[in-house]
Amino acid sequence: MHEVGIMESALALVQRHADERGASCVHRVVLRVGALSGVDPDSLRFAFEVVARGTRAEGATLVLDLVPTLVYCSSCRCEFAGDRGAIFTCPQCGDLCGEIRSGRELELSRIEMS
Amino acid sequence: MCVDCGCGKSVPFGVKVLSVLAPGLLRSSAPAPASAAAVDAGVMTVVPAPLTPLTVQVHTSLLAKNDDAAGRNRAQFVQRGMLALNLVSSPGAGKTTLLSRTVDEFGREHRCAVVVGDLETDNDARRLHRPHVPVAQITTGSACHLDADMVARGVGALDLTGVRVMFIENVGNLVCPASFDLGEAVRVVLLSATEGEDKPLKYPPIFKSAHVVLLTKIDVAEVLGFDCRAAIENIRRVAPQATLIPLSSRSGEGMAVWYDYLRQRLLPR
Ligand SMILES: Nc1nc2c(ncn2[C@@H]2O[C@H](COP(=O)(O)OP(=O)(O)OP(=O)(O)O)[C@@H](O)[C@H]2O)c(=O)[nH]1
Ligand SMILES: [Mg+2]
Ligand SMILES: [Zn+2]
Repeated sequence: MHEVGIMESALALVQRHADERGASCVHRVVLRVGALSGVDPDSLRFAFEVVARGTRAEGATLVLDLVPTLVYCSSCRCEFAGDRGAIFTCPQCGDLCGEIRSGRELELSRIEMS
Repeated sequence: MCVDCGCGKSVPFGVKVLSVLAPGLLRSSAPAPASAAAVDAGVMTVVPAPLTPLTVQVHTSLLAKNDDAAGRNRAQFVQRGMLALNLVSSPGAGKTTLLSRTVDEFGREHRCAVVVGDLETDNDARRLHRPHVPVAQITTGSACHLDADMVARGVGALDLTGVRVMFIENVGNLVCPASFDLGEAVRVVLLSATEGEDKPLKYPPIFKSAHVVLLTKIDVAEVLGFDCRAAIENIRRVAPQATLIPLSSRSGEGMAVWYDYLRQRLLPR
C-alpha cells in the first residue's frame, strides 16, 4: 500500500500550489498514472480520501488520467501500444519487446482551485 | 460554504453567505456581477460572486523526492566503483539464502556489502553477517518497500573500503518496490519454484523493470510439480529485456552463471 505515501506527496504539492496562489479551496486534482506505474487506481482513490481529509482538498474530485503503455521494437524501430496484458508483441514483426517508452508515469498534472 | 463547488467547506473571506444558490448556477462560467441579489423565500440576500476557478498545469513526478535521492545514490555508487543491485521478490523467494551463498563464494573473490530491508527484525542481517562482509539492516516499520533515502542511510553506516558489489535486499513484495528506484545499476527479480508459474503475468510492472530474473529453488521444482519450462516461457514473454538465470542456492546449480553475470557487470577499478 505505497499509494498512501504517493498521495501524500501529491497533496503536499497541491497544498504548495494552493498556498502560492492564495487558494482556499481545491476542486479538482488530476494525476497521470501509467499502466505500468505499479500503483493501483482504486488504492489511489482510497488514499486520496484519507489523506485529503481536513485539508483544502477534502471533497475535491480526483481524476486519474491513465497513460497507455508505449513499447519500442528495436528490429522495426517503431513504437506500438502495449495492450492491457503483460506481453508486448510487435504488430509488424512479431518480436517480443521489453523497451518501455511510456507507461511508467506517475505525475501531478493539473489542479483546479479557487 | 465554498461558493465554487458547494463542497460545504467554510471559506475564509469576509462575505457572509445568507443563502445557497443551486450548484449549477454557482458553477456557471459566465462572469457574474460582483454582488448578486437573490430572492430566497421572499428575503433579499447577498451572494458573493463566484471566484474564478484557478487552473494550474504542472508536470511534477510524485516520486521526484525519491528519484532525486536515487540519483545521489547512483552517483555515489559509480564514483566508488561499486556495482549496486536491488533484489526484489515475494516474501521468502530466497533472497537472503542466495546472498548468503553469494557472499561466501563470489564474495571471496570480490568484496561485497549488503543492505537488507525488512518490516521488522534484524534476522536477515544476522544470517548474512560474515567477518568479510559489511551488512546493514534497515527496518522499515510499516513501509512495504525500501526507498532511496533508507538505502542512503544504510549504505552510509557501512565501511565501504574495497567494496566492489553492493547488494540491496528489498522488502519481500512484488508490487511496491517497482515504483522506487534505489539508485541501483541492476534490478534483480526472483521467482521461486514454490510460487505460481504465471506470476510474471500477474505482476508485469516489476518483471518488466528487471535487468535479471532469477528462477530460484529449482532443486525442489520437480517434487513440487513446478513446471520450470512454463515459468521460463512466461518470464521470457513478460520480461524479454531481462537476463534469465535458473538456479538453486541449495544445490548450487546455476550459481556459476550468476557469478559470471556479476563479474561481467563489475565496474572498472
Ligand atoms: N529448497 C530450497 N529452499 C530454499 C532455497 N533458497 C531459499 N530456500 C528456503 O526458502 C526459505 C526462505 O528463504 P529466504 O532466503 O529467507 O527468503 P527471502 O526472500 O530472503 O525472504 P524474506 O526476506 O522474508 O522476503 C528458507 O526456508 C530457505 O531455506 C533453494 O534454493 N532451495
Ligand atoms: Mg530475506
Ligand atoms: Zn518489430
